[in-house]
Amino acid sequence: MDMINMNIIESAMIAIAKEMGINVQKTAYSTIFSEAEDFTCALANREGELIAVADFCPSQIGGVPLLVRSMLREVPLAEMDEGDVIVHNDPYRGGLHTPEHTVFKPIFFDNEIIAFAVAVGHFVEVGGMAPGGFPGEATEIFHEGLRVPPVKIIKRGKDVPEVWKMMLANVRTPRGNYGDMRALISAVDLGELRFRELVSKYGADVFSRTLFDLLHYSERRMRAEISAFPDGKYTFVDRVEDDGIEDKEYEIHVAVHVHRDEVVIDYSGSSLQAKGPINATLGVAWSAAFNAMLHLTDQSIPKNSGCFRPIRVIAPAGTIMNVDYPGSEVGGNTETHPLIVCAIFGAMSNCVPERVMASEGTTHGCFVFGGHDKVTDEPFGGFDFSYVGYGGRSFADGNDATDSINGNCANTPMEVFETRFPWIVEEYALRPNSGGAGKYRGGLSNVKQMLCTGEMLVSQMTNKHKIGAWGLKGGFEGKVGATLYKKSSSDEWKTVVDAFGKVSPSKYSNVEMRPGDRVRVLAPGGGGFGVPSQRTPEAIDEDIAEGFISVEEARNKYGFSSG
Amino acid sequence: MKFSDNQYYIEKYIKCDNCGMLIYGEGLKKSIGSKSLFCSEWCIDWAQKKFSGEDDPNIPLPRDGIHLIG
Repeated sequence: MDMINMNIIESAMIAIAKEMGINVQKTAYSTIFSEAEDFTCALANREGELIAVADFCPSQIGGVPLLVRSMLREVPLAEMDEGDVIVHNDPYRGGLHTPEHTVFKPIFFDNEIIAFAVAVGHFVEVGGMAPGGFPGEATEIFHEGLRVPPVKIIKRGKDVPEVWKMMLANVRTPRGNYGDMRALISAVDLGELRFRELVSKYGADVFSRTLFDLLHYSERRMRAEISAFPDGKYTFVDRVEDDGIEDKEYEIHVAVHVHRDEVVIDYSGSSLQAKGPINATLGVAWSAAFNAMLHLTDQSIPKNSGCFRPIRVIAPAGTIMNVDYPGSEVGGNTETHPLIVCAIFGAMSNCVPERVMASEGTTHGCFVFGGHDKVTDEPFGGFDFSYVGYGGRSFADGNDATDSINGNCANTPMEVFETRFPWIVEEYALRPNSGGAGKYRGGLSNVKQMLCTGEMLVSQMTNKHKIGAWGLKGGFEGKVGATLYKKSSSDEWKTVVDAFGKVSPSKYSNVEMRPGDRVRVLAPGGGGFGVPSQRTPEAIDEDIAEGFISVEEARNKYGFSSG
Repeated sequence: MKFSDNQYYIEKYIKCDNCGMLIYGEGLKKSIGSKSLFCSEWCIDWAQKKFSGEDDPNIPLPRDGIHLIG
């Protein structure tokens, strides 16, 4: 193994993936790409193994291997030509959820496919029963938008108009979707160009050998990390508060079996799949397991399929961890994924407590909306993220106002948000007292209040409005979230249950908003780590001085009396 | 995964009874309790040990890469 070549080639491939991502960001039409960066760019070998990925959206990293392999089952290598681009979003064929569209471009070298450039991106609008792609009351996949099996959208460098027309006829914002799809395609075009340049520089033989070594190196690094974990079976159960359809809880069961240098993550015992859209797809079940393991191990391990080899996932079909057709699933990738990751942390808190955090807020807020803008005379659709508190750790407080653990999505600046959509943001702040008390406090979430200036339909897929983020080792729960509405004719803030008769306060579809109406979105805080009485007086003083906790909270939760 | 004769659509989505993996080919048939179709020998071994009451099976993973599609 030539470590120098391997490091250089790996770094070059990551740089390619990053450049692909920057290309998406700079050329996209929607703010979810240009501002929030809800996409991932990667490279895969001809067998479908992930070989390099840029660190944009973690939920998509673990999904790439299954996505590529599923695509290869339906579009075999022999049927691919130079210049082809394949698109795929089918949740039942390895996809993560309906909005997540993946484009693949085979990379030819000396007339042979040697790799794939891959770009995965979350489209805001996908058709279905609600604008914005997150119908919280969907009960089947057909409510959730257009499902696209692996098909060529470009053949030998030329558009396949029938596919474009079919896809764009089924969404509310065709111009925006067209631009975003072009952005993803431009990324794989760039990836192809750069990858060829790299292979030309080193020669196909050296390159191929180095890739083989890189995957094995990554595998060995992951195995070495797992070897340091004490053998055993570690379990945890977490709950989804409801599915948007029925007011009942669902259980996520996790058993992590550690033996020598390998891990089996078994979700057996989890609830049967829900009617509502909280179900994870198989891709999500895998991706969440890989995501958790990457968080529990050395972050310098190269992120490729090699490091996933010592990890096996058991996701029984027909459960909320592996939805069967035609169950609804859009929230599985946003809400259930972080719940699974945190449940794995909960299990591993008995194995490697120094490496885990208490539960984070486990939601992206997924506040979506759409309508027709009278000013621009164009349809619009938007996605607004909420930022949760992360869980406290054995050595530090939880991070404040951060996108949930599978998102890594950035904040959309208010100026951009207000320019692009008929909203005015009246308040955007950290939410005091939202972090669970603990020796190490849970992170604070955010609060956002918005004034509606147009007519639109609003939907939401969020979580932890009833069940707070759990603490660890005596830490307290984080504060639950809430979404409150105030009609222009009223002075009263109400949940969607009270205001619109919805079943769930956190998962609902198509609430009508008019100019003058307001919404206030309070994200859930993180759980605390360690008993609150062990928090230092200096840290509590600082929390009060910064406005992170109130004097009353300090007195009630920490027994603190300031001089 | 059972495709229509012309491959235009899926008639039945087929998954491993143990791990939930999509099965595109024939899969491996074996009766273990209520389970009968598997994606790999590893899943058969795992299901057998669990069915026999073993709580924490210790079965080395296949060395041929991450979970292959059967």
